[in-house]
Amino acid sequence: MTWKVIASSVIGTTHIESNTSCEDAFNYTIINNNGNEVVIACICDGAGSAAYAKEAAQLVTTLTIDTITAFIAKGTLISKALLIDVIESIHDELRLLSLKQDKPFEDFACTFLCAVLFNNQSIFMQIGDGVIIQEDHNNGYAAIWWPDNGEYINSTFFITDDDYLSHLKITIIHHPINEMAILTDGLQSLVLNSETSSVHQPFCWNLFKWLRMATSTDEVTILQGKLEEYLNSDTINTRTNDDKTLFLATRISSTDD
Amino acid sequence: MMDDYLSFEQIPFGSDSFANNPEPRCPCVLLLDTSGSMAGKPLDELNAGIQVFKKELMRDSLACKRVEIAMVTFGPVTVQSHFETVPNFHPKELNTTGDTPMGEAILMGIDLVAQRKKVYKENGIAYYKPWIILITDGSPTDEYAEAAEKIIVGENAKAFAFFAIGVEGADFNILNKIAARKPLKLKGLLFREFFIWLSASMKMVSVKEIGSTINLIPPIGWAEL
Repeated sequence: MTWKVIASSVIGTTHIESNTSCEDAFNYTIINNNGNEVVIACICDGAGSAAYAKEAAQLVTTLTIDTITAFIAKGTLISKALLIDVIESIHDELRLLSLKQDKPFEDFACTFLCAVLFNNQSIFMQIGDGVIIQEDHNNGYAAIWWPDNGEYINSTFFITDDDYLSHLKITIIHHPINEMAILTDGLQSLVLNSETSSVHQPFCWNLFKWLRMATSTDEVTILQGKLEEYLNSDTINTRTNDDKTLFLATRISSTDD
Repeated sequence: MMDDYLSFEQIPFGSDSFANNPEPRCPCVLLLDTSGSMAGKPLDELNAGIQVFKKELMRDSLACKRVEIAMVTFGPVTVQSHFETVPNFHPKELNTTGDTPMGEAILMGIDLVAQRKKVYKENGIAYYKPWIILITDGSPTDEYAEAAEKIIVGENAKAFAFFAIGVEGADFNILNKIAARKPLKLKGLLFREFFIWLSASMKMVSVKEIGSTINLIPPIGWAEL
């Protein structure tokens, strides 16, 4: 075991009241690549205005994980050009689904957050809001990109937009990172300080502290349960009424017992 | 490593106050004289006043997240509660104890404030100027010169604001020597009125921009002017 991962999507209180479902989705896998573990994670927030947001978010996360896993398994070099191809093919799959179901494409709108963590490089991709946070090698945490909300706080960009490629951000960092969090916009106001455009450090310190401490898969499972409880708690629900997803991954350092 | 006897099931995942509450903090330390002379009615009224203080602050949702209260009694000097936000401040019923080591209590208050600021900084939490409130009905039974000097230094450095409140019987000559601000005399045993004024003042401070100057609410109703 090189990585410890916990993740959960929890329905927002307004979606419970309106009797709709959680439109956030996440998917992740840890695969073996020549003896090194690689984490692939994808998180999507289905647009509130989109009728099939939930299906779209689930399809995009699954397709992303499957496609990237297949490329890594084949030993394909992951370049920016290849990643753009991946996103284009997923966009096309989503359009195909809308055509098959004879529904407007915008009814499948969702955001897109993805990370691939190798032992020697790290890849991040994003369309729309939500945030990917990495440890900064100095006991601090920083956003890869500040959430892309466009002009208004309640608007953003989606993988289904006509100009989605112009809002697609991709970066490949040629060094490993040891800790990463991904979250959807439901948690943004709790984790990001908009006045200083910085990550609220205690939020990350507090959660990663426990994940780092877990020494067995049993303990990681306990934390998984606690994460779900936390996302469902009044502490969170008094501060956000939206669906919320939190993904946390920490690499076990070789100096750990 | 985790203590073997604390099961992993019991860890307080997601319960950290700074993690869940990034609001700037407004710290307030109460230094309360619980020497023998406070026995009976004065202490009953003080206890009731502290409850009113909490209740008044609880009515203000922003103050609940921003005001943090610590409570020290003397003597002997005892930290009754460390800094907690209002909902987590659970004041114990105070009893009279020994003598009046006021100097030591003040030094403790100043030290608590300095430590708390350090914790705020470590957690990236902004904060307002701390308030230290001394309430006494006597005169110090210990050396108070160091405390008086530290108050002057702290007030000049804007490290905190120190207020001395004398109850009937307090030695105002000495309080005047200790506090840089003019000590105020409590009218009778109007602790409740005093704590309503204090909660209103804390609410007012905690909605302001950090660093802005405030005009204190006049101490009408509880102080002999």
